[in-house]
Amino acid sequence: MSIAQAEATELAIERPVSLSRTALVRLRRNPAAIAGAVIVGLFLLMAVAAPLIAPYGPNESVGGLASTPPGPSAQFWFGLDEQGRDLFSRIVFGARLSLLVGFVAVLVGLSLGLLLGALAGWTGGRTDALVMRSMDLVLAIPPFLLAVGIVTLLGPGVLQVMVAIGLVTVPQFARLLRGSVLAQKESDYVLAGRAIGVPSWRLLLSHVLPNAIGPVIVLATLTMATAIIEVAALSFIGLGPADPSLPEWGRMLAENASRLQNAVHLVLFPGFAVVLLVLGINLVGDGLREALDPKLGR
Amino acid sequence: MLPYIARRLALVVPVLFVTSLVVFLFVRALPGGPAIALLGERATPEAIAAFERAQGLDRPLYAQYGSYLRNVLSGDLGVSTRSRQPVAEELLQRFPATVELTLAAILIAVLVGVPLGFVAAKRYQGPLDQASLVGSLIGISFPVFFLGLLLKYVFAIRLDWFPTTGRYDITSSLDTRTNFLVLDALLAGDGAALADVLLHLVLPAVALATIPLAIIARITRAATLDVLDEDYVRTARAKGLRGAIVDRRHVFANALLPVVTVVGLQTGLLLTGAVLTETVFSWNGVGSWIVEAISYRDYAVLQGGILFFVLVVVLVNLLVDISYAFLNPRIRFR
Repeated sequence: MSIAQAEATELAIERPVSLSRTALVRLRRNPAAIAGAVIVGLFLLMAVAAPLIAPYGPNESVGGLASTPPGPSAQFWFGLDEQGRDLFSRIVFGARLSLLVGFVAVLVGLSLGLLLGALAGWTGGRTDALVMRSMDLVLAIPPFLLAVGIVTLLGPGVLQVMVAIGLVTVPQFARLLRGSVLAQKESDYVLAGRAIGVPSWRLLLSHVLPNAIGPVIVLATLTMATAIIEVAALSFIGLGPADPSLPEWGRMLAENASRLQNAVHLVLFPGFAVVLLVLGINLVGDGLREALDPKLGR
Repeated sequence: MLPYIARRLALVVPVLFVTSLVVFLFVRALPGGPAIALLGERATPEAIAAFERAQGLDRPLYAQYGSYLRNVLSGDLGVSTRSRQPVAEELLQRFPATVELTLAAILIAVLVGVPLGFVAAKRYQGPLDQASLVGSLIGISFPVFFLGLLLKYVFAIRLDWFPTTGRYDITSSLDTRTNFLVLDALLAGDGAALADVLLHLVLPAVALATIPLAIIARITRAATLDVLDEDYVRTARAKGLRGAIVDRRHVFANALLPVVTVVGLQTGLLLTGAVLTETVFSWNGVGSWIVEAISYRDYAVLQGGILFFVLVVVLVNLLVDISYAFLNPRIRFR
């Protein structure tokens, strides 16, 4: 039996199973998604167990001040920075910050976007027009510039940065969910629900939303990846979290951008930490997208 | 077609008007102000008041906006509080740098991304397809400024193939008339200067092109896969057309439409990326100008720079919409 045939029989057997269940099965068969999950898992572990994994504290000076910080060695895996702090330890602790920022930013964008999108799609009419036109206006501004603007307004704290990056993503979530809700609204099960007198809010919450949520999950994952890059980018132009003791990857990169000549490890390690984490999240998101696509039953 | 374009162009005016108002208010809502940013935290209240009077910043907001709007309409974007240069003049100096950089990046992204996506779709699920998928994911996972630094380190510092910063060798005698340096070098017929300008352009353009390239490759692949499934492609094959002709006339031509949309949508992303790329490569464009203006609360520069960015995004989207008609005769404008 060829692989295609095997898959066909398997799918035939799984037919009555829910989409989320098939999605999980498909996800487990996708090596790229598994690789992504492993990467994200390792970073999560790093974040949770940072004090156990990092040999030194994030702000502990172990090497003294140096104008040319020493590179990687057996004792200090990633080398030291100009203040004699262990770079490996700082990157391990930095995972906490990056994951937190990504998570909270998505939470902000997702919750506001869901609210506005569901409102617009479900009520329709003028509310819909009003909400969506204002979302279009926001979408016309390049997102990073918008984030820059909001951070300059709110001030440079970790929370402000997370909120700024989250707010920028609201229109995307709102648009996506509005589209899904509109599509679901006219479906037979909603009509049936209305016919037997299910209250409108309950139809929305327990029938329409769960059916519209698949693409939203995918967008949330991919948005988290973008959010992590954007925090680093904000730090890079000097608008990131202001506290200089925070081991923020983007800031570590920015502070040492002029040291490419003599201490390139200070740029390479934080930079690749961002790339690896973002890649992991993107791999998972991409796998999710394929797994949740009902058209891909073939 | 013409009425459609006219109507779309007429819509640009209110959009710019609203944007100018939003940017105007936003810039003034920023904590601190040009007086403190320029005179320092310890400036006396008298000095600040004098500065604000001189700059007209003590007048009510609506009056400030009114005169700002009048000036803008007559082509006067105000004077930078920091450099004391007219913003319009500096914008004319700087925007060619940003346009040159973004155009080069789009060119790279399209010239590499479209064929890559097309070939990947033709070899669906083959090794090349898989490699391009993973490659594009890696591409969009790189922060543009880190990629810039990385390219700079490897190709400029280590290998010394390219210059590290700037737009051209300042010791050269290039006449920077239009400030589109590639054009200037061509106009002067100066081969050495052209080579120098292009060498300076390579690294920033490649850094800026990477993410759009990855996205364009993915969209082209998806669009081509969709078209390959169409009945008319099967018909074309069935009636015995050569594969290359089917690919070119039936598949590629139809797969191009979503690609054009995405190229248009990338403009915002490119301008954003330009802000960061220009900072990494000390490229004197509008992006790095805006970043500097933020810390100096340079109202006029911020207003002018952001308005310029929005204008570019709006116009590019208009061009994209118009280009649909040429690419797809099925679309008719009313």
